[in-house]
Amino acid sequence: MARRIQAHRYLTLPERGREISFKYNGKTLTGYETDTIASALMAEEVKITSRSFKYHRPRGQFDAEGHGPEVLVTVDDEPNLWADLIPLRDGMEVKSQNTWPSPEFDIAAVNQVTVPMLPNGFYYKMFHKPKWVWPLAEAQIRKVAGLGKIDIKGRHNKRRYEKRYRFPDVCVIGGGPAGLGAALAALEEGKQVLLIENRAELGGHSLFDLSPVSGSPVSELNGQPAYQAVQTLIEELADSPNLEVMVNTTVFALYEDNLVAAQCGSDMFKIRAESVVLCPGATDRLLVFENNDLPGVISARAVERSIARHGVLPDEDAVVVTTHDGGYHTAMMLHGAGAKVMAVVDSRTGNTPGHFENQAREAGIEIHKGHTVHRARGGRFVTGMDVGSPTGSDTTRSFNCDLLVLAVGFKPTLNLLSMGRKTPVWNIERGILQVNELPEHIYSAGEVHGNASFGRLLEEGSTAGKAAAQGAANPATSRTAEEIIAALPADIECGGKNHFICKCMDVTRNEAQASIGEGYDQVESLKRYTSMGMGPCQGKSCHEAIARLAAIDTGLSPEEAMPTTMRPPFMPTTFGILAGRAPHLGPIRRTAMHHAHIDRNVKFLDAGQWKRPEYYTTPEEEVKHVRTKIGMIDVSTLGKIELSGPDALDFLHFLLPGKFRKLAVGKTRYSMMIAEDGILFEDGTLSHVSEGRYYLSTTTGNQDAIMSMMMWWLTVEPRDVQVKNLSGANAAINVTGSGTREFLQPLTDVDLSNEAFPYMACREGSIAGVPVVMFRIGFTGELGYEIHYPAEYGESLWNHLLEEGKSQDVKPFGVETQRILRLEKGHLIPGTDTDALSNPYEAGVGFTIKDDKPDFLGKAFLKDFKDRGIKNRLVPYVLDKGVVIPEDGVAVIEQGKAVGRVTSSRTSPTLEQGIGLVWLPDGMAKTNQRFTIRNRKGVDTNAIVIDHASYDPHGERLKS
Amino acid sequence: MSFQLSCPNCGKRAVGEFAFRSEVLERPSQDDDFRKWAEYVYLRRNHRGKQLEWWYHRGGCQSWFLVERDTVNNTDHCSFWYKDLQQVLATEKEG
Ligand SMILES: [Zn+2]
Repeated sequence: MARRIQAHRYLTLPERGREISFKYNGKTLTGYETDTIASALMAEEVKITSRSFKYHRPRGQFDAEGHGPEVLVTVDDEPNLWADLIPLRDGMEVKSQNTWPSPEFDIAAVNQVTVPMLPNGFYYKMFHKPKWVWPLAEAQIRKVAGLGKIDIKGRHNKRRYEKRYRFPDVCVIGGGPAGLGAALAALEEGKQVLLIENRAELGGHSLFDLSPVSGSPVSELNGQPAYQAVQTLIEELADSPNLEVMVNTTVFALYEDNLVAAQCGSDMFKIRAESVVLCPGATDRLLVFENNDLPGVISARAVERSIARHGVLPDEDAVVVTTHDGGYHTAMMLHGAGAKVMAVVDSRTGNTPGHFENQAREAGIEIHKGHTVHRARGGRFVTGMDVGSPTGSDTTRSFNCDLLVLAVGFKPTLNLLSMGRKTPVWNIERGILQVNELPEHIYSAGEVHGNASFGRLLEEGSTAGKAAAQGAANPATSRTAEEIIAALPADIECGGKNHFICKCMDVTRNEAQASIGEGYDQVESLKRYTSMGMGPCQGKSCHEAIARLAAIDTGLSPEEAMPTTMRPPFMPTTFGILAGRAPHLGPIRRTAMHHAHIDRNVKFLDAGQWKRPEYYTTPEEEVKHVRTKIGMIDVSTLGKIELSGPDALDFLHFLLPGKFRKLAVGKTRYSMMIAEDGILFEDGTLSHVSEGRYYLSTTTGNQDAIMSMMMWWLTVEPRDVQVKNLSGANAAINVTGSGTREFLQPLTDVDLSNEAFPYMACREGSIAGVPVVMFRIGFTGELGYEIHYPAEYGESLWNHLLEEGKSQDVKPFGVETQRILRLEKGHLIPGTDTDALSNPYEAGVGFTIKDDKPDFLGKAFLKDFKDRGIKNRLVPYVLDKGVVIPEDGVAVIEQGKAVGRVTSSRTSPTLEQGIGLVWLPDGMAKTNQRFTIRNRKGVDTNAIVIDHASYDPHGERLKS
Repeated sequence: MSFQLSCPNCGKRAVGEFAFRSEVLERPSQDDDFRKWAEYVYLRRNHRGKQLEWWYHRGGCQSWFLVERDTVNNTDHCSFWYKDLQQVLATEKEG
């Protein structure tokens, strides 16, 4: 029986804190605020925490490190969380996973006595079979697969995900003795230090280390038990103004130039540090033997942590299997908590007894030398075990225990070190995989380089921390003969078929051997074939065992047993964390009139980062209104670039394909923008506003690209030009409709008569006291004035015009309406009706190009296009009345082949028929030519090419 | 890609703040053969090792500058203004 202990013979237990209640699979249980979910479940005697992936074998807590799949739970609807890392909270709703109806009574466990439901190499073979099988198989797997269910309506989805940033001098990852030593040393060097720990408290494994400290660089700690010494250190750190400590924070990746990615709750931290010190430590080794996955088989540190930090004794009758003095430490921990330690089974013979071995002897604990575990016995959890020779032969002794504790050495947590793109190698002397070389400005220290005492780890961390602070080389580490722990055989070969190598994917030694027999004899291919190491732990629990066993079974030497590549993320990371707060694509930009649009029940449209009015009533109604009355549209998102200075005209001559020497003050001209490759990518208007001052308007999407292009050319070929980006500084409104002149004239000091202010002209003046520049242009096909003015007046002038225009029925319209209006006029929109292959001659805007200039952007390619001649043309068309309108982008079909495509297709409310723009082969692009459009459903529609615009073809309305 | 670039104006910043244009190329003259133009527009050496490149501090001061970057590992880069290019090239020759 697990139970909470009130006192311990060899250590002072920490305060438990407040009692709290939580739910587990619907049942109310109690725990304490210092618990993790796992420790609370342990105290409540929940032995079976989940069922395994393939065979639905019962599984329980193993290493309390947030590595194993056994303790994955769903918390408050969020699936796949590690119960052994998450602090218990009041009212938490915890559910087990991969069990039905419950972990104790799991119907699918029948698999164990019938054929395995997912045969070896299942995934691998599945992907190579006929593809249609996969969806069927997948549905079956999902039902029983070992992961939680994603609930898109769950509580966790209401969370707000944030990105946060830190820029410390030194970032120390891991808050154990080495990490604390590194942080202290870097602080002493006067550095800003960030210390990250993935548990709720600093201290690492020393929080439950009873060993007396010796050899510590902080001399007053010597002689204290490590678990107390570490608290002294932590208290010392607490006062450092240059230190930030982040707990419950998991570093999941380390990228180029010391970018550390960490998760804390719903926040992702991007940390850029001058130096990074990696002190990730090590975890208890997995030992492979018969039934090594039964609940009750538990790691030494899980037992020690449970007793010393949470005051929970996992069970009463324990046997400790060990290879070093640490096993006796665990035995004393159990003994002091009142458990019955039936035996310590130590594989060594003839060693000099260590500190805790002597204590165990004094305490009268039975010791079996030269022995190790052969098998665990029990149905749903451990009820006994057999021991014998480490070779697997000669089972000599049995115990009826309920706790089988594994203290068989430590496995370094190499993931972050190897993300520095250095491959781990076997350090044969130390018996561990190790990453020795690290890139510049990355350091490492501590148990990740092998077992050592508290004092030695502290000192090693301190040396690394100092080097990190000074930017010196990464200091080498060393281990004494006493510190080195000899490894047991990778598998205790004593028969039986339940020797689990990978508990996530439920792969046994037999299965691995069978796969090697099938020819998958490289670690990488073996991993893919069996899916070992590809489960939730991503090899953290098993990569060492996989490498060692693969080496044995393929006849390699231990040095050649390479683990598979360790990649980010270290811990599974949710999309929410990576994506950040939605919408995550960037800032939202709103025009100065944004709230005035909302007041009119606008429907917004996302145009890049901008929110633009799509329409207010319906596009059809708004089109009719503009054609018969007066409409106005917010065009503030247009790019607005002012150029001045002695070389401004010369610069414009180079940037744009037209000629502007004759563009007098007060005149406006339509212009294309052509890239160096001759492709049309943008259009806009250029106006000569006042002597030597030019105003270029561009589309919403391209303004930043055009600014950067201008800056590049001014860098490469410096000219005396001032370029001012007024895109954000100016708001703009286009007022259009045949009555616009009569409406606006009383409101402005600018003479709007057709003689004084003709089509394609611009004037400066004011409206309601606001300084404005007005442009007489006509994208809509009606008489229109585009008014640009300081954005500070954005909303007030917009509202003023609407208020003054009430009697003339002036109404706002949106972008979709404008798209229809321009389509009725046959105007193209670059990027909508053109693409990266559209040449301006074919698009029908060759008239804007004056290629007799000495040099300008795109000249060489435009000449080439001209030489090659026209192959396709962009032309307007109409459909017969009443036919279904095809979608944008559909094909033109001629004799069964696609020969062209529709780029814009709408119903014209004015003409009451379908209209659009289409790319056709030159031969077909003739007025009155009939052609066939095939819509997405495969239905054909007849269309007719028209000459010029479908509405007001000669522009009389525009120019009147 | 998570390396840092030094803007000559703003200092060291995450690469995400910058826009890459291309390796440094010489623009042909209008008298040159069209083939030369096609190469200028479409072909890149895509050099493995140190190369001179154009970068733009889009999310910062909006300046264009040059970077000498090792395309293999993004390390040891130096950045400078275009107007200092001749001087930098001269120094490199001496060195
Ligand atoms: Zn800058």
